Parts: sequence; C-alpha cells; structure tokens
Amino acid sequence: MEIIYQIFSPDFLLRNSIYTSVLVGLACPLVGVFLVMRRLVFMGVALPQISSTGVAIALSLPLWLGFNLSEHSSHSTHMLAFIGSITFSLTAILVLAFLERRGRGQPEGRLGTAYVVAAALSILLLSKNPYGEIGWLDMMKGEVIAISNFDLGLTAATLMLVIAVMGLFHRELLLVSFDREMAIILRKNVIFWDVLLYLLIGMTVSMAVLSVGPLIAFGFLLIPALSAHMVARNMRQFIVLASLIGGLAAFLGFCIAYKFDLPVGPTDVVLLGFLYAVTWIIARIVPHGGLRHPHNVQ
Amino acid sequence: MSIRTCRADTQKTMNEPLIILDNLSIGYNNQPVLSGISLSIARASFTAILGANGSGKSTLIKTVLGLIPPVAGCINTASTSAPLAFGYVPQAFQFDPIYLLTGFDVALMGVYGRVHPGRIVPQIERAFTRECLRAADAEEFARRRFAELSGGQKQRVLIARALAMRPDVLVLDEPTVGVDRETKDLVLEFISQIHKERKITVLLVTHDFAAVRHYAEQVIWLHGGKMSLGSTHELLTAERMAEMIEMGMA
Repeated sequence: MEIIYQIFSPDFLLRNSIYTSVLVGLACPLVGVFLVMRRLVFMGVALPQISSTGVAIALSLPLWLGFNLSEHSSHSTHMLAFIGSITFSLTAILVLAFLERRGRGQPEGRLGTAYVVAAALSILLLSKNPYGEIGWLDMMKGEVIAISNFDLGLTAATLMLVIAVMGLFHRELLLVSFDREMAIILRKNVIFWDVLLYLLIGMTVSMAVLSVGPLIAFGFLLIPALSAHMVARNMRQFIVLASLIGGLAAFLGFCIAYKFDLPVGPTDVVLLGFLYAVTWIIARIVPHGGLRHPHNVQ
Repeated sequence: MSIRTCRADTQKTMNEPLIILDNLSIGYNNQPVLSGISLSIARASFTAILGANGSGKSTLIKTVLGLIPPVAGCINTASTSAPLAFGYVPQAFQFDPIYLLTGFDVALMGVYGRVHPGRIVPQIERAFTRECLRAADAEEFARRRFAELSGGQKQRVLIARALAMRPDVLVLDEPTVGVDRETKDLVLEFISQIHKERKITVLLVTHDFAAVRHYAEQVIWLHGGKMSLGSTHELLTAERMAEMIEMGMA
C-alpha cells in the first residue's frame, strides 16, 4: 500500500515512467488482438526487433553524416528515434504482409530471419555508436526510467490516436480480418483497411519499443491477448480484457520492480507470464473458455 | 437432347437476363481455367452449377461476385438504378475459429455495406438482422459462438447474413458440404422457399444431383474445360448422370 501511495504522490520521481508503462500496457494488447486473430504471432516477435533496428539506424545516421548528436536536445533525439522506429516498423509490416498474402515461401522462415538479422544489426550498430552506451542499450533491455514529459506526451498522443482509430473503425478492421471476401462483396476497400491496421500496429510497436524496448513490447503485444482469448466469450470481452490485463500487469509490474529494485520491463513480462498461467487455470474451471474449447483448438 | 456447349455465342435462357457473361475467361494469375463462357442468368431463376473438383465452379462464382478479376471477357448486369447486390454464402468450414464472434455478430456483417465506417449500426439494421436470423431459423444461434455451431447451424447463420445484405442474387458455394442428410434437405428447402417467396435469383454450387433435380430450373455443367448449359430436365438425363458419376462427381 505504501508503495502505491508513493507512486501516486505528485512528487514521485518516476511518475512519467509508470504512466508510460501503463499506457503501453493498455494500448499494445489492442493491436495484439488483431495479430493473434490474424495468426501473425511471429510477426509480433519480429516487428519490435525490426523497429529497434530502425532506432539504432536512425541514431547512427547523424554519426555517419558527421553531425554531433549530443549538441541536439533529447527531444530531437527521441523524435529521430521515433522516425527510425516507425519507418522500419511500417516498411517491415507492409513487406511481410504482402509476402504473406502472396502465399509463397515459408512465412515463419522469413519472420525468423528478419528477427535474428534485425537483432544482430541493432547490436552491431549500437556497439559502434558512442550514444548507444548512454541509455539506448538500456532501452533495448527494457529499462523504463528516464522518461521526459515530452516523451510521455508523444507516447500518450500516439497511443491515444491508435486507441481512437481502433475504436472508431473496429467493425471494418474486424470484417476485413474475419471474412475478406465478404468485405470485397460489400464494396469495402480492403487494401485501405489492411494498410490502416498495419499503420496502427506499426505506430503502436514503434512507440512501445521506444518506451519499453523490444522484448517488453513483444510481451505486451501478445501475452495479454493470448491470456484474454482463453477466458473471453465474445469479441468485446476479448478486447477489453486483453487491454485490462496489459494495463494491470504494467502497473503491478512497476510496483514490484520499484519495491524490489528490479528492472521494470522484465518484471512486467514475468508478471504477464504469471497472469497467462492464472488465466489458463481459470479457463479450465470456467465453462465456455476460448481456446480451451475443442472446436477452437487447431 | 438439346444440350448447348457454349464457346462464344451468348445464350439467353429466360426472358429477363440479370447477369450476362460475355465470352468470359476465368482463372488465376492470368491462367485461364475455363474460357469462352457466354451465358445469361435470368432474374428470379434458380441455377445450379455442377462439375467435378477443380472444374472451375468456385472460380466461376468468385468471378461473378467480383472476388477474382476475369482473365478475359466481361460480366454485365441488367440492374441500372444501383449495382447488383449479391448475398454470398461461402463454405462454413473456411472461417477461423479463433474469432470470438457470436451468430448475431456474423449475421450483422450483412448490413455493414449500408453503414458508413465509424458510425454505429442503427437499431433498425440490428432488428432487420434478427429478422433475417428468424427467417433462416437461426435465431437460437444468435447468442452462441459461431465457431462452436455445427456445419448446418453455421450455414443457417451465413444464409441469414446473406439475406441481411438485401440481395438481388443469392450465391451459395456448396452450402450442404459436411452436413447430414436431414440438415441438407432443410437447408435446400429453405433456399428454395426464399427463392420463391422473395423472387431472389439463386446461384448454387453443389455436387448434389438430387437437390439439383428437385430445386434448380437450369444447370451449368463444367467439365473438361468446357461449359454446358441447359434446363434441369435437358441436362440431368440418366445417361448424363451416369457419365457424371463415372467422373467421380457424385
């Protein structure tokens, strides 16, 4: 209780960090639900890593061009990282989705290759970048500590935009995902809705990677959605529950990490794993669970 | 026997053509599966499409629905005031059970074409969807999860969804695959009933000769890269059916 009181006090030093964590925890599962439903779980693994490679390249670019990054404000650096992250996320998701739709080759192989190459490239780039050592490697590991008001504002604005667009056009995004042929017959512009969904996924992944790092972004994208699917009875419950599990894990994870002096990100992911196990047990007890039902297991 | 094998000439089978296929070639990636299809589907007619697996039945209806572009030729529709509204009933097993949609959620998708993006589905459309579920005898499946329904129950929900589209043409792709005999009869009887009551044009892809003989007015038979069109009595002679059975169609 004392920790919660401290966290909510106005002069709490890490206030921005917890707000950012909870925002990421609430927003990531909303797009994660679509990754799970479209059976793009592997994309959920690869995208945050590709996004973080975008950050690494964006931060290396000034160095390659002979600019001194330390002369610029942290806002400019953060914005540069965001641009790198979102450019790589969107390019990757559009290319991978296009290749998936063509139905040739091995999607898992492509995603696995993209993941491992992106991870290696990030490490190589940051190891040769002097600014990598002053925080960006921490970011990659999921240390949610130094979040400025500007960073929090950018995260909040991006994630609120994602939540608003998702809420407004949820029906169309669901129709195109569930029954593409029906959407075409109803004269819906399926390419537009697909691109919008990918744009929302890309924006969320980019912002989550910048805020909490790729490992934690992946955790928040998929584990809450997979957990909620086991106990939800309909789409509304699925989406709301996934978001609540994400938000709750982010908040509790922060409290635990603060209390025991642990890194926040990994604490969040372990907690998500624990919640996944709890929902799995609940799904065995409560009738009409989602994935538990034999018809739903493939 | 007056079976007409269509190559390039347009055939008009009934007085008021609704869909006219003009020298149409269908296929995927510019590779034709079937070429030179010229025929017309009359308004309020019941047409069955028969053919062995891989003969192009599904490709033909998907081309008519606009899901696949034609390789060559064109499709004209008689509707002038508004584009022709198709109600499509796909095969029920193709849907991923991971979606936690209820029967009502699936049926409601039929009205999405009339609701602008970002707007709430009006109460009147929700009520109409319930009416369609009732008409398809699927009201009891409205609150149940779609993935957990049986094949026949899913077909009824999908028919309700197609009716919710207020269709001029109802297109059904093997709606009785994977359902028992009794359910099959119920589904086909229901389709025949709405065809008669609502004067809806029906295009039915099936392997079921008995159903075709009983309900369809004309038959499109696809075989060996060719297409034959005729009335049920003209085409489904004992001789022709024996030939079809030999080809493994039944």
